[in-house]
Amino acid sequence: MIALLFLLRFIKKYWFTALLAILFLIAEIVIDLYQPRMMALIVNEGILGLSSGGVSDMNLIISTGIRMLLLVLACGVCGVLSGIFTNITGQGSTNEIRKLCFDRIMHFSFDQTDNFSTGSLITRITNDVTQVQRLIIQLIRGFTRCIMFFLGGTAALLTLDTSFGVIVACALPLILLDIIFVVWRTNPLFTVLQESLDRLNMIIQEDVAGIRVVKAFIQEPREEERFAEANRHLVDTQFNVQMLLACMRPVMNIVLNLAAVGIIYVGAVQVKAGDLAPGTVMAAITYLSQILIGMMMLAMIFQTISRGMASLRRVQAVVETESEITRVPEAADGASAKAEDGSRGTVRFENVSFAYPDTGTEILHDISFRVDHGETLAIIGATGCGKTSLVSLIPRFYDATEGRVLVDGIDVRAYDPIALREKVTVCLQKSELFSTTIRDNILLGRPDASEEEVRAAAESAQADAFILQQPDGYDTSVAERGMSLSGGQRQRIAIARALLKRGEILIFDDSTSALDLKTEAALYASLDRNYADVTRIIIAQRIASVRNADRILVLDGGTIAASGTHEELMASSPVYRDIYDSQLREEVSE
Amino acid sequence: MSTNSAPASSAVSMGFGPRGRGAPGAPVEKPKEAKATLSRLAAYFAPDLKYVVLLALSVVLGVVASVLAPSFQSKAIDNLVGASFDAIPPILGWMLLLYLLNGGAALLQGYFSSRLTQRVIYRLRSDLFGKVLSLPIPYLDSHSHGDMMSRMTNDAENVSNVISSSLSSLFSGVLTLIGTVVMMLRYSVPLTLLTCATVLLSVVLTNVISKAMRKYYLQRQQLLGRLNGIVEEKVSACKTVTAYNLQDEAVTEFNAASDEFTRIGIIGDSIGNSMGPMMNMINNLSFVIVAAFGGWFTLKGMISVGVISAFIIYSKQFSRPINELAQLYGQIQTAIAGAERIFGVMDETAEDHSGDRSFDVSDGVIEFEHVNFSYVPGQQVIYDFNLRVEAGKKIALVGSTGSGKTTVVNLLMRFYDIDSGRITVDGVDIRDISSDIVRDSIGIVLQDTVLFTDTVRNNLKYADRTLTDKAMIEAAESSYCDKVVDALPDGYDTVLTAAGANLSQGQRQLLTIGRAFLSYPKILILDEATSSVDTRTEQHIQNAMVKLMHDRTSLIIAHRLSTIQDADQIVVMEQGHIIETGTHTELLEKGGKYYTLYMTQFAGKET
Repeated sequence: MIALLFLLRFIKKYWFTALLAILFLIAEIVIDLYQPRMMALIVNEGILGLSSGGVSDMNLIISTGIRMLLLVLACGVCGVLSGIFTNITGQGSTNEIRKLCFDRIMHFSFDQTDNFSTGSLITRITNDVTQVQRLIIQLIRGFTRCIMFFLGGTAALLTLDTSFGVIVACALPLILLDIIFVVWRTNPLFTVLQESLDRLNMIIQEDVAGIRVVKAFIQEPREEERFAEANRHLVDTQFNVQMLLACMRPVMNIVLNLAAVGIIYVGAVQVKAGDLAPGTVMAAITYLSQILIGMMMLAMIFQTISRGMASLRRVQAVVETESEITRVPEAADGASAKAEDGSRGTVRFENVSFAYPDTGTEILHDISFRVDHGETLAIIGATGCGKTSLVSLIPRFYDATEGRVLVDGIDVRAYDPIALREKVTVCLQKSELFSTTIRDNILLGRPDASEEEVRAAAESAQADAFILQQPDGYDTSVAERGMSLSGGQRQRIAIARALLKRGEILIFDDSTSALDLKTEAALYASLDRNYADVTRIIIAQRIASVRNADRILVLDGGTIAASGTHEELMASSPVYRDIYDSQLREEVSE
Repeated sequence: MSTNSAPASSAVSMGFGPRGRGAPGAPVEKPKEAKATLSRLAAYFAPDLKYVVLLALSVVLGVVASVLAPSFQSKAIDNLVGASFDAIPPILGWMLLLYLLNGGAALLQGYFSSRLTQRVIYRLRSDLFGKVLSLPIPYLDSHSHGDMMSRMTNDAENVSNVISSSLSSLFSGVLTLIGTVVMMLRYSVPLTLLTCATVLLSVVLTNVISKAMRKYYLQRQQLLGRLNGIVEEKVSACKTVTAYNLQDEAVTEFNAASDEFTRIGIIGDSIGNSMGPMMNMINNLSFVIVAAFGGWFTLKGMISVGVISAFIIYSKQFSRPINELAQLYGQIQTAIAGAERIFGVMDETAEDHSGDRSFDVSDGVIEFEHVNFSYVPGQQVIYDFNLRVEAGKKIALVGSTGSGKTTVVNLLMRFYDIDSGRITVDGVDIRDISSDIVRDSIGIVLQDTVLFTDTVRNNLKYADRTLTDKAMIEAAESSYCDKVVDALPDGYDTVLTAAGANLSQGQRQLLTIGRAFLSYPKILILDEATSSVDTRTEQHIQNAMVKLMHDRTSLIIAHRLSTIQDADQIVVMEQGHIIETGTHTELLEKGGKYYTLYMTQFAGKET
């Protein structure tokens, strides 16, 4: 119910069209319900001439027929109008929800994205939002229709003759029981169904993506078995759902048809007693079928609602997750314009500790260091020692659990994140390219950059040469997930993008790992030439990548084991020497 | 009272008028070879012929009951009008019986149709999945994975659903139509003709609306594709979006697409939804015609009042299948097109496992002889490649990105077949032995760290689940992933989520190395297997490997020269050619390409 209140917030803006949709719908149904009455008039008065002593009245038949035709027309117009207004309301408010969802997701902190998982976020904004749209339309149209048909049909039936009420009273509980039973049994099955479908999809996706491993280990039979199991489960669940749904309608039909028989019987008794005209019995049967339609709608509405509500809650969870890292507009200008000590491009860590919120295990302990303007700091350390976590704190992808991270002397939490990230450029470990041209991918760094600047950035990133070799040069499109480019080429495009941004602080998070050594060396040389005034923080595995840095930070188990220049560390740090030896072996003297 | 005998699935969509999917006007795909595809589909239904026959019988039963019932109702009304009340109860008895039969038939129909669908989907999907697994790597590399997935889930489900439910709807629709027309003609020819006229009107109207709608549906489909594309790309790359402050651009792009999608959606659906009221209008029109003309005919004494009542039901029974038929036709066409896509995959040639020679890899001597290869004809990537790897030796492949190192592995694993030349293992051409034998003797660690959603234990024991935990822990220790596993909440029983996303890249590499170690291969291939692992851990792994592989062959690809310094032979590749071979010392003395690479790495500058 709280979820429905949430939904109401979005529909509120469209209250007027929603109202019109409902009103036109009511008009449509009322007219529809009026039809059998005119039918009864034609039969009773026109044909049988009951009130005029058995004299038929052709004029009455014609005039009533014409009135019916006009009503039919009006009914259609109302129906179409109601459809238009319903769509405006339903799709319009869904659009608001969708846009808000996307906006929220785009501004989530990394931690929040991790919590939801990107796959789930995508499903929510596509599938779930569509289900919510169905829910809204169903709430407007379905409910109104169902109530009108049901109440209207019942009322009309009772006004014809109250004795029909007995039959309706007998049939209704049976039908309700049928609906309640089916809804009660299918509801939990829908969740199971969704889960088994998810599992099937997961297996397909994993196996298709990892086909080389499956084949290399000759595990095709086992994967087929794993799939068969998931397939069996899905198909069985589907069968159960279908069977339950298949039961609902025939049972309802039987009950209502029996009710029709009952009406004829009661009608016969009444007609025999002279209390009722035969035409009325016919109208009564028509009304009964309208009650049936109302009931069947109810059953379907329950299905849509139980599906829709599940989706609504998933969407609500996204919309109501406020970004943890909020913008501080007033801080933006002040902070970026003048730094505390007049320095630009400095980074300072003061006793920083950090743990990922979801696991709680501390990754970094009491880290303190400082990087000055134009300096190059390299970070080296074992797998899982917290290198990536450390640099993620600078552009505030995550917040430190303890201590402070300062950029230009100001706590990163005091910055507007947008302004902060203008200063700090991160080239991520995984080079994510978008499915557009190479040029557009580089331009993402600074959309207003000129062609020369793009080329210059690409040249510094050692990418210009291979880009020109592509079929359309800079206009070559990067195919789905960049499959057409090798890992090293993708990394260099990502580096060009980072360089083009010209931030004051540039962070390379192991972003040259797929480059061969010569290319990497050329890249660092051109960085020294062209980006000398940019503060650089470089995470790397290879000594060659870090040895020319002004200072090297050796990270070990979340703490700084040593720091200094290559020579200093060689003399003082056993850990560093160990790393060096592991790469150089017997050639230490080189 | 109408006594519809719609089968289970259409029950869900009844009563609301067209709603989006499957509505008339939704784009219909045209199958290319409907007949051939249908007969192949029939083969999938053949094992369940029992259910097909039972389904058909229940449909016939239902239709007969629903066609006969109104005539009894008509008699009852006539007796009512004629005041012969004693004749009514037996008629009502018949009606009761018919309605019960009809309901029962509908239940059976639901049961048989669901059973049939479920069994066919199961077979279709399992076959397709088995086929996909057996497809050669080149096919899988060149086809979109998303597309493959949608065939296995959506297409398979759609095909069997539509075929088993729509076909029975079609069957019952046609039967009902014929039965109804026969009954109506028996009562009154002119009234039947009038009723048919309204049906004609509804067919024309459906067509007009469908045409108007089709344009918007197509447009909406494209817009939806764009919208989903934006979501998929921007959400999965949200870290990059955040890092580059592109949130607002992304939101603006998304909002524009979303607004346009909504605008077109409102127009399209408004037209689509008007179908319901329009149909209702025509149904009511037919109601008026039956009432007015029926009244008139009654006055003329041509028909009885009861006939009017029967006609009201018949006209509804008559227009329903007509409205449905057009829709069903579209659904069936789309389903057949889906089936064609499925069969398209099934018709792909499976991987060539051929090679009848039974053979045991004993020494693990690998030899490449004059191997030429191109992924795409005309773009050769490996030129006259000659390499002999002696048993128990450690060979390293080095070279810049794109020099063809990974390709060599692809060829040895028989993921791709060579253009000319030959590759032998222990002197036997790998095309002469089953690829399973080749793969069984090779342990491989790939550049992409593929892990499965399963426990760590099952991931490590991927090659053979019957291996002992002791062996597994030993392999984990030598690959240094034991520390990673120890840090996981449930140790070896931790279920890796989303293909191991909760581990860092380096940690995932360690697990895949552990997996390869555990399979005790005759030949071990490491393709950039330690690129994200720090060099010290890497060195420990190397040491373990020396022990593990002392009598086995290993092939290592790496950027980091430290990884491969102690190799027995280092092969330097450039643009698909071997340009240098030798040991580390020999190559350094030679002062060629390897020397340059080496100096770059350790001196950190070009020489």
